[in-house]
Amino acid sequence: MLTWSSGVKVVMHCKLSVEWIRDRDKGEICEQRAREQIVVNQSMESGEYEEGMEVEFSANGNSMKATEVQAKLDEGNIQEAESSLREGLSLNFEEARALLGKLEYQRGNLEGALRVFDGIDLQAAIERLQPNLAEKTPSKKGRSRSDSQHTVPQHAATLVLDAIYLKAKSLQKLGRLKEAANECNNVLDAVEKIFHQGIPDAQVDGRLQETVSQSVELLPELWKQAGYPQEAISAYRRALLSQWNLDNDCCARIQKGFAVFLLYSGVEAGPPSLGAQVEGSYVPKNNLEEAILLLMILLRKLSLGKTKWDSSLMEHLTFALSLCNQTFVLAKQLEEIMPGVYHRVDRWNSLALCYCGAGQNQEALNLLRKSLHKHERPEELMALLLAAKICSEDSYVAAEGVGYAQRAISNAQGLDEHLKGVGLRLLGLCLGKQAKVSSSDFERSRLQSEALKSLNEAINLEPNNSDLAFELGVHYAEHRNLDTALRYAKKFIDQTGGCLIKGWRLLALVLSAQQRFSEAHVVTDAALDETAKWEQGPLLRLKAKLKISESLPMDAIETYRNLLALVQAQRKSFGPLRISLQVEDDKVNEFEVWHGLSDLYSSLSYWKDAEICLSKARELKQHSAETLHAEGVIFEGQGQIQEALAAYIDCLLLEPCYVPCKILIAALLSKMGSTALPVARSLLSDALRIDPSNRKAWYYLGMIHRDDGRIGDAIDCFQAASMLEESDPIESFSSVL
Amino acid sequence: MSNDPSTSSTAEDHQDTISSTTTTTTTPTITTSASSDHSSSRSKAQSTIQSLSTILPSLPPSLASSSNPSRSLLHDHHTASNISSLLRLPDSGAGDNNLCRWLYDTFQSSDNDLQLVVLRFLPIIAGVYLSRVSLRIPIAGFEAVLLALYAHETTTRASQAITVNVPDLSHPSLYHETKAPIKNNSTGLNLAVISPSLEPYGTVRSTRRARIVGVALELYYSKICEMPVQSKIEFCEFCRVWAGQDGEMYKEMTGSSSGSSSTNKRKEEGGKCEVQEDGNDENKEGGSGKAAVGVGMGRIPLPWELLQPVLRILGHCLLCPNQNKELIDKASKACTSLYARSMHDINPKAILATRSLLRLTNTAAKDDIFDPTEIPKSRVISI
Repeated sequence: MLTWSSGVKVVMHCKLSVEWIRDRDKGEICEQRAREQIVVNQSMESGEYEEGMEVEFSANGNSMKATEVQAKLDEGNIQEAESSLREGLSLNFEEARALLGKLEYQRGNLEGALRVFDGIDLQAAIERLQPNLAEKTPSKKGRSRSDSQHTVPQHAATLVLDAIYLKAKSLQKLGRLKEAANECNNVLDAVEKIFHQGIPDAQVDGRLQETVSQSVELLPELWKQAGYPQEAISAYRRALLSQWNLDNDCCARIQKGFAVFLLYSGVEAGPPSLGAQVEGSYVPKNNLEEAILLLMILLRKLSLGKTKWDSSLMEHLTFALSLCNQTFVLAKQLEEIMPGVYHRVDRWNSLALCYCGAGQNQEALNLLRKSLHKHERPEELMALLLAAKICSEDSYVAAEGVGYAQRAISNAQGLDEHLKGVGLRLLGLCLGKQAKVSSSDFERSRLQSEALKSLNEAINLEPNNSDLAFELGVHYAEHRNLDTALRYAKKFIDQTGGCLIKGWRLLALVLSAQQRFSEAHVVTDAALDETAKWEQGPLLRLKAKLKISESLPMDAIETYRNLLALVQAQRKSFGPLRISLQVEDDKVNEFEVWHGLSDLYSSLSYWKDAEICLSKARELKQHSAETLHAEGVIFEGQGQIQEALAAYIDCLLLEPCYVPCKILIAALLSKMGSTALPVARSLLSDALRIDPSNRKAWYYLGMIHRDDGRIGDAIDCFQAASMLEESDPIESFSSVL
Repeated sequence: MSNDPSTSSTAEDHQDTISSTTTTTTTPTITTSASSDHSSSRSKAQSTIQSLSTILPSLPPSLASSSNPSRSLLHDHHTASNISSLLRLPDSGAGDNNLCRWLYDTFQSSDNDLQLVVLRFLPIIAGVYLSRVSLRIPIAGFEAVLLALYAHETTTRASQAITVNVPDLSHPSLYHETKAPIKNNSTGLNLAVISPSLEPYGTVRSTRRARIVGVALELYYSKICEMPVQSKIEFCEFCRVWAGQDGEMYKEMTGSSSGSSSTNKRKEEGGKCEVQEDGNDENKEGGSGKAAVGVGMGRIPLPWELLQPVLRILGHCLLCPNQNKELIDKASKACTSLYARSMHDINPKAILATRSLLRLTNTAAKDDIFDPTEIPKSRVISI
């Protein structure tokens, strides 16, 4: 009967659900409400119970107060309580016991409940309920089988299963978890015995279904609490892979429970049994795969509106996929989530993290631009820092990054003050990057000194940040402040224990720039010792160049040969599984090796060998400025000036900013008489605009000034060239970044 | 396949020198018997305990008489704290250190339970070792133990990489069906490498150090259920040292997805934030034996190959079933530290993973007692 008060509740209920939908993004509140809703529903069905209320029994159309029975139970007289129930409500023995057990359980008298249930021979009751096998087997028509299902007396089954379930719950609350799990397991075994075909939809009464669902859900929980992880895993799989006719919420809870267990329990579940596998379907083979699969299914259910929003699902999946380096997949999952769940800025920022983690920086930057727009959340520190970091890696957006970094610094206050150093560091990096594309000398030197200033400020705040030491080292080296650069390179190796190849390389380069070749050699050899064979590529290349600088071309050729062997072995055996992160960064490409070797041969005037190496390089990369440059050098060396010039010009057409060719063209032109001198001069100024520390450019510019008779200018240029030569590294400093 | 003859030969050499220099009290009959039957493993354990007694000031007598001595050793709090404090001494990592030699020999005994005892101390070994690398203190003893763990894992895995086929819901699976026709089975699956294939190493080359420790941690993770809580707690403490950030500012990080509200809140509280030193922790964390001065002293580079297993272990400590209050406390502190560190490094993957762990810890703490398996109380009890 619908009383007035329950009518009110129904109205409230509707209101709640409307609000619930409206407030979906306030995840927790809505969860709370959903639960309230469940409570409301339950109390509507069964009549409200409040503490201290008088309980009554009801069966067969009769009802009776529980007070009298309770008193008997309190005296320890189960038999009497039972018989008074049987008389009052005309029940059989088992029914009376079941009611008594429920009363005791509800009163919190768990021991008592167990004593009541112990009086029933539950196993025998189950056996009585099993359908007769002889009856079942001959059925040929589909219909007769479903008839046999009807013959299961559902009322009796409910009674028995309820009783066992309550027994399990009582045991659980008493902390006898293993026994509880066994009882719970009995419920499920019994269900499987009674209903051979699984639980038929809509043919089972609600109460029975509820007990079954609850047992299915309780069992893994019990094994888990009892400390039997393997049993818990099989209980979870049994719950999810057999037919229990679970409702969506229940199934979702079990799936989530299992996913969480797989992710964090530390117990390897092993692949599911062969019986559960279906041809052609995806079968997870380890914990991470299974957990990710379950979480993805759950999220799909969420977006279909089959279950209520649960923010923790996304967090679990984020954790799992980040561990697998699969932030790209994570981004796709985030994009599938219905709008309105996350605030758009949160969604953009999370997506930006995902894309950046997957190496898609451009994508990430676009999202961050949106979220940092003045109408959104322009002060969000994490987004500012990430944006600045992405910009610091690309000189064309470095100027934008300077802005982000400055905003980050001014917002790093209060609890976020510890991120100020990070902001300063990024500011320095962005400024340094911006300096590389600046159009004027004045601008460039201003940016560079500002960059150094903020990096220095940053390291004052974070003296233990080894990355900073490295970046300062590179900056000082590019400034040709070699002593300071050396100090930072050493500091970096000390702080990191030499665990990064780039530190060794920086140290060797700085030493080579100081013309301390033998020390550079020692460092390179030490670094080779600290490096596994597969990762020695960049170091071998460095070593070869050191040998060339030391005028030991034959040793250099030998080193190049080793390098080639390594590169080719790598090419053969690098499957996708071999790549560890550091290796990928430091993989030397074969093209570079052939090209380097070709340069070496042509410097020795071994034109034939140089040609061969060059053709190998060309096979790997057809049109490249480097090969055209090398080709020109070979022509020039053999006196074929026109061909050389053609190659250089081709190279510039391919890559208009390629400095070495500009210089070589200028050098050739300057020898062609006074009419060509202005052209040569403009080419060299252009080269110096791009690369102001190029000593060759300064040298040839000096030559032109001299030929034009401007001796003062010529002296300046030669001086610059010779100073630079004294501090020229064997490879550009930026190659270590 | 990589076959680096020089490294593998050094591997053997190295092991030879180790075993030849050891002065074990183990009797030869025991070392040669490889049988895993109970009595032999028991006597193995007993002789191991005996040799430990020459190193430690005292051993509880119950250990030797226990029916399962290796298990008792694993869970004996007194002995563990003795070993821990020895491992934290300034000269503990030297090549001729008795304790390191004992750990090495014990692990090489190829008795599962005894190997667990060694693994139990991995957090301290790795923690002290990594923080000490830059200090030029002898660490050869630690390296021998770590290499033994690495070699063990290499053999168990047969050098194979651990991979994950990230599922794609457009294919039907064990747990769901799709209406779309089944396409080619291999399409759409993303192969993720969790741990690249392993190469044998005989020495710790500095560029491979993080990998070797990382693999040892992967081994630890695979046995983590059997590890005593104290060992996990030590691990969490070292995470904070490695991170070099105390992460106090994120202690209150809310579980809500709205970043701005928390930012604003943080701003209101602003100014009070001082890097607080947890004196108690710092003393323990002074892995080098000297009291570490200030936060950030033990900060180490955290490449992904090291950070990833660290995060997996941390996930277990925070969210495993049947939790221990103190462990959760330490683990969430470690997690805030690592979150702060990943913000400093602006490492997107690490930010995502640690942020999610923090939010999950937060919601787990707030989780109410709603239990769907409970039977509602009713006023009318009926059949």
